[in-house]
Amino acid sequence: MTDALLRVEDLGVTIGGAPVVDGVSFAMRKGEVLALVGESGCGKSLTALALLRLLPPAARLAGGRVLLDGTDLAALPDRAMRRLRGQALSIIFQEPTASLDPLTTVGSQVMEAWRAHNAGGAAQARRAARDMLDAVGIPDAEKRLDQYPFELSGGMCQRIMIAIALICGPSLLVADEPTTALDVTIQAQILDLMRRLVAERGAGVLIITHDMGVVADIADRVAVMYAGRIVEVAPVTDLFAAPRHPYTAMLLASVPRLDVVPKAVLATIEGSVPAPEAFGSGCRFAGRCPLAVARCTAETPPLNEVAPGRLAACWRSAEASTLLSGAAA
Amino acid sequence: MLRYAFWRLVQAAVAVFGVMTIVFVIMRLAGDPTLLLVPEGATREHIEALRHELGFDRPILVQYAAYLADVLRLDFGNSVVQRQPAMAILMSRLPYTLELALGALAFALLLGLPAGVAMAVWRGTAVERLLAAVVLTGQSMPTFLSGILLILVFGVILGWLPTSGSGTWSALILPAFALGALSMATFARMARIAVVDELSQDYVRAARARGLSQGAVVVRHVLRNAAVPVVTIAALEIGNLLAGAVIVETVFAWPGIGQLAIQSIQSRDFVVVQVVVLFVSAVYVGMSLLADVAYAWLDPRIRLTPA
Repeated sequence: MTDALLRVEDLGVTIGGAPVVDGVSFAMRKGEVLALVGESGCGKSLTALALLRLLPPAARLAGGRVLLDGTDLAALPDRAMRRLRGQALSIIFQEPTASLDPLTTVGSQVMEAWRAHNAGGAAQARRAARDMLDAVGIPDAEKRLDQYPFELSGGMCQRIMIAIALICGPSLLVADEPTTALDVTIQAQILDLMRRLVAERGAGVLIITHDMGVVADIADRVAVMYAGRIVEVAPVTDLFAAPRHPYTAMLLASVPRLDVVPKAVLATIEGSVPAPEAFGSGCRFAGRCPLAVARCTAETPPLNEVAPGRLAACWRSAEASTLLSGAAA
Repeated sequence: MLRYAFWRLVQAAVAVFGVMTIVFVIMRLAGDPTLLLVPEGATREHIEALRHELGFDRPILVQYAAYLADVLRLDFGNSVVQRQPAMAILMSRLPYTLELALGALAFALLLGLPAGVAMAVWRGTAVERLLAAVVLTGQSMPTFLSGILLILVFGVILGWLPTSGSGTWSALILPAFALGALSMATFARMARIAVVDELSQDYVRAARARGLSQGAVVVRHVLRNAAVPVVTIAALEIGNLLAGAVIVETVFAWPGIGQLAIQSIQSRDFVVVQVVVLFVSAVYVGMSLLADVAYAWLDPRIRLTPA
């Protein structure tokens, strides 16, 4: 990829020695929207936090490289990393209201983001903040600047968070479940807004979600994570049409649909995700996979190219889409 | 906010009224106060005359109403021993207690708050362990022991500071230190808990994601949020310092309200004991009122919400 924006290589995160993120590799082009999907606890949020080196105290970065525009973020000194946060790459979180300091006006928090990376006075910062609030579609921006987070709705707070994230013009926006805490109608507005703003600015978006609807709505490509590993990467339409990993197929089969008989039993994936101590040596999905054979529990399938632009980590990748009907589950 | 403050004031008034009532009931439960006042060997007629003169022969509710009226006029009667108004005696001692309490408070805040914040920020490091040892010492040393040790070391052995008395800066240092040690430990522990709690909040991570350093996040966001619970504790600690100096004042011969309380109890001067109890209660109620109002003022979620 010549226009590469982000290249993550063999990223690992451990908690108490357990490999909760293990050998994660993916790449993004400039301006691309990549969705990282998986169920709760699969390590997708830790992957996002690891990119910004904002892991919680219990979690440790356990090797790997994070190349953003050619700079390895994982190897940077703390001070240099701090200068890049908010400027070269930003993140927005799931809980917009909790992500804002409740005792400080939203305006001063937006201005703070601008002043962290720009030399300029308070008046200039305020102008930049007001313009940014306008850009994220907050009406009456001048007045909103002086309001506190509790005076705004969750959707408004997420717009503020987006304003904070984009005010210094980062080339990568990481969005960790940005719409999960919001109403469905607000979700759509926020996704529209993100799509429009990053397209205008040419920034890439890594969106973390467990919601296939969000994936279909915004993503160009999808990376599916299971139990700390990436199991499949594909362009979004290809992934929905013909998944090449059994987990992806069963995940798609379990999404409720409008075009099938109501009251039909929703497909589920039997069993649960193994605990990190019980990962074993083979494929981590083997215990729940209807296609599993002896080789699956013995040998870890590598993430190989199975078709042009498509990667999957499965010994029986070619048969995976047969599970899409949900019949096998 | 004003409405909130008003209702809190009403609650405080109810609390003070409750204390006044309890004090009255306990005094009457303790028996006929007349018997405390007459000299030994007084005749029955003499006692009856005095009882009538003081109004203790009236129905209890009438006495209660008269008591409330007196208290509201700040008329607490005359000291049995000193033959002067109890209120005047209290007021003559108040400046000493205030001076001691403020000294102790300054020491407790200046040492306790930074120690608590440092313990939270450098959690799990040698800094925290060292400060924790200091705080634990302050917390676990009773004042009758720490006071005497301080006198021994700084007054007797080193001879740097006076061992007792009042009126000079140097005389204030040792008692303020002894009295403030427990508050210092309380502030340090509360500040540590509050800061640790705030550091785990989402907004801290979000602020770091903007490119702020950990130090800037602590100074600009964490301290202010952590201050909300700490201010409440601080106001209650002021109450403790004003009211709880009995031992320190005794050890250092400091002529404040604590010493007055001990002297009055020893001489069975119940009128003065009563005024001290009412004063201490009023201080506590007043300080918790102040704490709540400060709490509301610091938090815009309460300050700006119309009731």
